[in-house]
Amino acid sequence: MNNKFNLERFGKVLKHDGLNFFPNFILTLAILWAIPVVIYLFTSLMPTDGTDNVYSAFSRISVIDMLTKIVLILAPARLYKYCNDSRKGIGYAMLPASTLEKFLSMVIFCVIVAPIVYVAGALAIDSILALFNGPYEGFAISNYFNEYAQIDYNITAHGMTGVFYDTLPLVVTNMSPAFMTILSYLGILMISSIFMFGNMVFKKRKTGKMIGILILLSIIFMIIFINFIANNEALLNYLSQINEDNVSEFIERFICIWMNVTLYTEIIVSAVMLWGTYRKIKTQKY
Amino acid sequence: MIKINNLDFAYKNTQVFKNISLEFKKGNIYGLLGENGVGKTTLLKLVCGLQQPQYGCVTVDGYTPSLRQPDFLQNVYFLPEEVITEDTTPEKFIQKIGVFYPRYDFGLFNKLMKELEVDLSKKFNELSHGQKKKALLACAMSLQTDYLFLDEPTNGLDIPSKALFRKVISQYCSDETTVIISTHQVKDVENLIDPIVILDRDDVLMNASFAEITDKIYFEYGPERLQDAYYTEMLPGGYINVLPNTEHLESNVNIEALFNAVMKNKETIKNLMK
Repeated sequence: MNNKFNLERFGKVLKHDGLNFFPNFILTLAILWAIPVVIYLFTSLMPTDGTDNVYSAFSRISVIDMLTKIVLILAPARLYKYCNDSRKGIGYAMLPASTLEKFLSMVIFCVIVAPIVYVAGALAIDSILALFNGPYEGFAISNYFNEYAQIDYNITAHGMTGVFYDTLPLVVTNMSPAFMTILSYLGILMISSIFMFGNMVFKKRKTGKMIGILILLSIIFMIIFINFIANNEALLNYLSQINEDNVSEFIERFICIWMNVTLYTEIIVSAVMLWGTYRKIKTQKY
Repeated sequence: MIKINNLDFAYKNTQVFKNISLEFKKGNIYGLLGENGVGKTTLLKLVCGLQQPQYGCVTVDGYTPSLRQPDFLQNVYFLPEEVITEDTTPEKFIQKIGVFYPRYDFGLFNKLMKELEVDLSKKFNELSHGQKKKALLACAMSLQTDYLFLDEPTNGLDIPSKALFRKVISQYCSDETTVIISTHQVKDVENLIDPIVILDRDDVLMNASFAEITDKIYFEYGPERLQDAYYTEMLPGGYINVLPNTEHLESNVNIEALFNAVMKNKETIKNLMK
């Protein structure tokens, strides 16, 4: 039998990991599903000054999105907690499947299954709560897959309609729906791959240590970035020339650069982290 | 067959094996003996791919264990000393992992669970330490792998369970199965293991079958302590003397006495058995 990849055996690995999915992750999912319910109850019970408490569908989508990112962060350590443990990880290491099959199964459950299960549950709970005569306005599910509606909402919610009014068409032209979708999925892959790698590297407090490292790296990059700007006369010169007339052009340029930097960062970081995770699964000693 | 050639292995600054070579032939139940910390568990981990040699090579039927290829893993099962179980019943556990092993037999699992007197309906967490060990042994044996590595399998078992363990291993292991039992509870595996491998720090002192041992070493039970014995121990009713078998007399191996004799006369017995 092929020792690199065999579809039938991969199916068995998926089934094996699938059987572990809910026992290992249901508590985390339940807590994260409960958060919107708590917010609902809190909003319902909050005293009002005569006006209606309205909690729009888009605000709820933002909360679900944020909680989905938490799911992505927590999933590797909850689902594959012991896979690098010198005692408890022996069963995982000795499972007769190839490194590639184990790795792909890990990616599927952490990057795809975990967020989908969470979002599906969260949207179902939202829909049930929206049926009651409470503070919920509209159904989150009906707008969840409409990315443009969400972008419009976010721009309005942040009071940036004026700023974006002229530039939005340009942004949309440059950032095609396909590009935005790829960027968003790559973002999911990047977050998940970072924490999958952390899960394989650290033995204890895996998620906490990885968050700590990310905070430290952010601070280092920020210092480097600020130093770069402060010591770059051409850039400072350009920034000083920004006024009411050319602010739109600046924003448009800034967004384009930012999106490209994000795209390449997401691709490179995801590739490095996934490769690192694969190597760790392959070479882990017990 | 398991072949270990010129193996070097160390944990950080602690050398465990230095240039050792060893073979485990197919179809035997090996007893892997040695004092605490000589590397019995490490040797098992090396042959099942959980550790990687720093120098030299380990092969199992031509496979390099540290590559952990599926074709190799489906013919190997390692039961560690420490009982690590999932929050599930042994039945569900074996159904989950059994599909990966080509000769897995669920009927045999049920039969072994009954023979070992383990409650099928209980989850691992609800079983006692000994019951968990027996359930995991039933799981391991029902997979019917070519190689079964058992690390201190009788630790924590009560006296009737130890007898059941011996019965199950001798009854249900096929002639093709190689079992390596690492233990220092030699009495628990007496009449079960043959050959014996005795490890020392950085070295293999003995790898011999009972026939080879009794050909060169004589175990004499008598009323007196003999001066030329490798090892003498007082037993109820007399002494056991471990002697060189110069006259090719027949005797029965007393594993505990043999082990102590080897430990006291490392180089002499090592050279004698070469």
